[in-house]
Amino acid sequence: MTVLIGILNGMISGATPILLAALGGAFTYHAGMFNIAMEGMMLAGAFGGVMGSFFLHSWPAGILCAILASLVMALIFILFSVVLRTDEFVTGIALNLFAVGATTYLLRQTFHVKGVFAGPGIVAIPKVAIPLVDRIPLVGQILSGHNLLVYAAVLATLATSYLVFSTRFGLRLRAAGYNAACLDSSGVSTTRIRIHALLLCGVFCGLAGAFLSLGYVTLFAENMSAGRGWISLAAIILVSGNPWGIALISLIFGLFDGLGLLLQGSGIASQFTSMVPYIATLAALYVYSIRKKGRA
Amino acid sequence: MEDLVRLESIVKVYPPVVAVDDVSVSFRRGEIHAVVGENGAGKSTLMKVLYGLVPRDAGRIFLEGEPVNFRGPEEAIARGIGMVHQEILLVREYTVWQNVVLGREPMRALGRMDEAEARRLVGEKIREFQLNLDPDAVVGDISVAARQKVEILKLLYRNVSVLILDEPTAVLAPQEVPQLFAELARLRDNGRTVIFISHRLDEVLALSDRITVMRRGRKIDTVQAAATGKEELARMMVGREVVFSSRRTPRTPGVVVCEIDNLSVRGAGGRERLTGVTLRVRAGEIVGVAGVEGNGQLELVEAIIGLGKPESGSIRVQGRDLTDEPILERRRLISFVPQDRGRMGASLGASIVENAIMTHHRLDSRFTRLAGLLLDLPFARRFAQRVREEFSVSMSSERDPFRSLSGGNQQKVILGRELLLDCPFVLLDQPTRGLDVGSIEYVHQQVLGVRDENRAVLLVSADLEELFLIADRIVVMHRGELVADLPVEQATMEQVGSLMLEGRARAS
Amino acid sequence: MTRKILTGIAGILVALLIGALIMLAEGYRPLATYAALFQFSLFGLSPLATTLKNSVPLILTGLSASIAFASGPVNLGQPGQLAMGALAATLGGLFLHLPAGLEIPLLALLAMAGGALWSGLAALLRIAFAMSEFIVTLMLNMIADFFTAWIIAFPLLDPKAFSPMTRQIDRAGWLGEMGGFSGSVLFMAAAVAMSWFVFRRWRAGYEWRISGQNSLFARLGGCNIDRNFVSVMLFTGALAGLAGGLVVMGGPHRFLKGLGANYAWDGVMIAIVAGSGLIATLLYGLFFSAIQTGSLGMELITDVPSEIAQVLQAVLVLVIVAGREFVRTALDRAEARRQARERAA
Repeated sequence: MTVLIGILNGMISGATPILLAALGGAFTYHAGMFNIAMEGMMLAGAFGGVMGSFFLHSWPAGILCAILASLVMALIFILFSVVLRTDEFVTGIALNLFAVGATTYLLRQTFHVKGVFAGPGIVAIPKVAIPLVDRIPLVGQILSGHNLLVYAAVLATLATSYLVFSTRFGLRLRAAGYNAACLDSSGVSTTRIRIHALLLCGVFCGLAGAFLSLGYVTLFAENMSAGRGWISLAAIILVSGNPWGIALISLIFGLFDGLGLLLQGSGIASQFTSMVPYIATLAALYVYSIRKKGRA
Repeated sequence: MEDLVRLESIVKVYPPVVAVDDVSVSFRRGEIHAVVGENGAGKSTLMKVLYGLVPRDAGRIFLEGEPVNFRGPEEAIARGIGMVHQEILLVREYTVWQNVVLGREPMRALGRMDEAEARRLVGEKIREFQLNLDPDAVVGDISVAARQKVEILKLLYRNVSVLILDEPTAVLAPQEVPQLFAELARLRDNGRTVIFISHRLDEVLALSDRITVMRRGRKIDTVQAAATGKEELARMMVGREVVFSSRRTPRTPGVVVCEIDNLSVRGAGGRERLTGVTLRVRAGEIVGVAGVEGNGQLELVEAIIGLGKPESGSIRVQGRDLTDEPILERRRLISFVPQDRGRMGASLGASIVENAIMTHHRLDSRFTRLAGLLLDLPFARRFAQRVREEFSVSMSSERDPFRSLSGGNQQKVILGRELLLDCPFVLLDQPTRGLDVGSIEYVHQQVLGVRDENRAVLLVSADLEELFLIADRIVVMHRGELVADLPVEQATMEQVGSLMLEGRARAS
Repeated sequence: MTRKILTGIAGILVALLIGALIMLAEGYRPLATYAALFQFSLFGLSPLATTLKNSVPLILTGLSASIAFASGPVNLGQPGQLAMGALAATLGGLFLHLPAGLEIPLLALLAMAGGALWSGLAALLRIAFAMSEFIVTLMLNMIADFFTAWIIAFPLLDPKAFSPMTRQIDRAGWLGEMGGFSGSVLFMAAAVAMSWFVFRRWRAGYEWRISGQNSLFARLGGCNIDRNFVSVMLFTGALAGLAGGLVVMGGPHRFLKGLGANYAWDGVMIAIVAGSGLIATLLYGLFFSAIQTGSLGMELITDVPSEIAQVLQAVLVLVIVAGREFVRTALDRAEARRQARERAA
């Protein structure tokens, strides 16, 4: 039983960064943009989180700095792909590589270490116990006691769903994706909508990065986003940007991530367990593609 | 009637082309004013300048006597000027009311829209202008004519006083046009100004109060519609006498070259797009396929060339069953000029010679060496020169990018490439779309020439005038079915128009 | 053509300027740093040879990406294909013992086969199940990474090693030097020449290019899109695989952790900055190699950490690519204004 609870908790933890990043990416997806820079934004966020938490001695500062760092990436993306009209794919790839290079460089410059920084001065984001709920047997152990950002992710899913489907902003956002020329000729600047979408993405990816370096574990490692940005992209595409679908897919990926850790104890080499999320993505893509082909 | 809008000495350059060359024209309150000219004359560009979609390089614009400078459509709409584009610009996934209020949504608290209020306002406008639309219908599901009405409704919701319409009848069947004209006349009588861009002279003469003619970016003249006629307008548009009669000499067709039997195609979403089409095309004849766009013509063309897989039926050319054959095998027997030059007929970024040798590079061994492995570039270049000479293409070097050619010249290269394949069956889909009158004449000449060489031609065209000009037989597509097959001598435009719209001929 | 060269040079200068500003902000001296950078990469036979040798994986993976992008398939799997190619070459080198004249070409072929196998897998999934090769190649990268990590840590682990790595391959497979220049450069030159020839002179290359520009047009013209897709993926996978094999043969002579480093992603970057042009890929590959090679030496003299090379590269990519668009629209607008003025006069 404890094993099951462990798996479920691991699933939720593993799902959180993917969910947050994918929600951010959902905004740009609905706006008709091809945004593959979530990986870089998340990585920048992770680094910003550690910087803020370490130097300002508090985890709220860490979260704030994570968001700021991610927003810097988003602003660069905006500058190149929206203002200068550079191809979005190219901008995204360049930005991801820039994020890796910049964080690695700054890691060395600031902390004088290579690879990983895990100093004791980093203040982690606390876990939260929900009163009353945490006393429910079994279920309480799953629902309560998670990192603060996990609950933030749940709220974020609600917020995203509301924003995209019930507000004027959402109507215009989706119109930008369906028919940008129509939106422009209706008197609304598609450019401005896309900038807002990118900024929202930056905020969400910053939160995802903060969770990686201040919640999941308390350290920064080179390239620690480790392909989660790509997985969140796959999640968005698989459910066509639906926030609740994204939540479901994220949980599934989180499950495989957690399963990987579990299998580690059983003697299967760690490399194979680490492969599991990526094989899972391939499997999901297979199912998606077969279904799409069948419908056509 | 005073001037509501005045354009003074407008210049717009798209290097190296001068799209609008020092044009001055004014529009009055409560009039229907047509702007006519050939494709490329600058009519659309001029209106886009007025509307703020495109910045001008010189000149001034006055609205009610005041100089204005719209930096974008929002500003134009705010001042009461709206434009309905040729490509209908609507969000197909949204409903009618969502499309109409987009950009001017009535609001509630917390960023929510007031949906009930939006529906009410839209319904009110529909009733006021008698537009016969359902506010909750999804735009993707309604007819093209209805979509056009939604576009107009969108502008009326914003209380525009000047409506610019760009080639509105291009997407309508002949029988749908009078309803549109009645709506526009109502708007004019209501005190609004309608600016109407077209190259269809009969319609323009029937509807407008005044007509401005443009040619090659310049304004030729503005005349009263009542005081002019088709020949005079055509002369102003083209600059020389235009022949309106057919150059076709009747011929007896030869053996059957293309046999299409009981062809049925199911489209995406499971709907039947083509039902039981049976058709014969003989050597030395041109069969014209008429129909409002979207009634199965595209599916027919795609099935013949091999892009779509038919559900049932067969396609034979010269006795050979091509129904299951890959595209390359069909190309041995079928020359194909597709609908959309840039999307299907060429690669705009590649050079002219690279575009010219497509398909030849597989079917003609002279284009390759070493058992098909290497390209014979000198031969390819000589071939491009041959296309240039035989089809009068105006170009500098065959190594230039294809997009550097004008539309007419691009089409000539494509036509040349396809006709030089020497296939017995020639399939043409809207071959004169977007071309100037001179190029259109040239293409017609070439197609008639192909017919005289005893090849079989299937010509799909949305231009009824064109079909009546060069086709020997006319077939009509309606909702995926072939509803008529007539020799051109026995058909009339009204009859064909009726078949196009309703599927049967109306007793006249 | 001249426009491309101008944008390139302008872009490089702007990127170097931005790099200089970053250095100033950190308290370093830009001119001395750049001088050291280029001294250690270009000035002298030995630096030049090193730069050339280091450029091999960059140029080959860059070529792989360029040809793929220009032909349609989005092959982002160079990191994985490089790893599998390196693995294949290592396996061959560990178990096959032939004279050098045979061993070296054989290992090179094995490397190409390894890379082609990995990219071929992605091609297969695309053709059979319509799975986007964009995502598949990315996922295969990670899988290849973990798979090779396992192989060198367990089955093929060198028992005498202190970190995961295989034993050294047969000496016959070691690529030597000639006149100071590494043999891998020869292989690279041959691959570049072959690629150019196939891409621009073969009928297949013609179809690839047209398919990449407008696949519908190519299809209607009778090209077999699916078959071309697979050929391109196999060809470009082989190029990336060859890069991996050459790294093993010309470098540590064994598969060790971090072998591929960032080569393959740099290759993608190079392809992007080169606009998928073959000659441009070659030139930018050399330039990036110069920056990377020089930055190691630069660190010794000036204290500037070598990671600045990564930052410089990314800045360069963004500047050049944005610059391309910017220059084009600026020139068009200037031309329009000029013609308008002519009309008014």
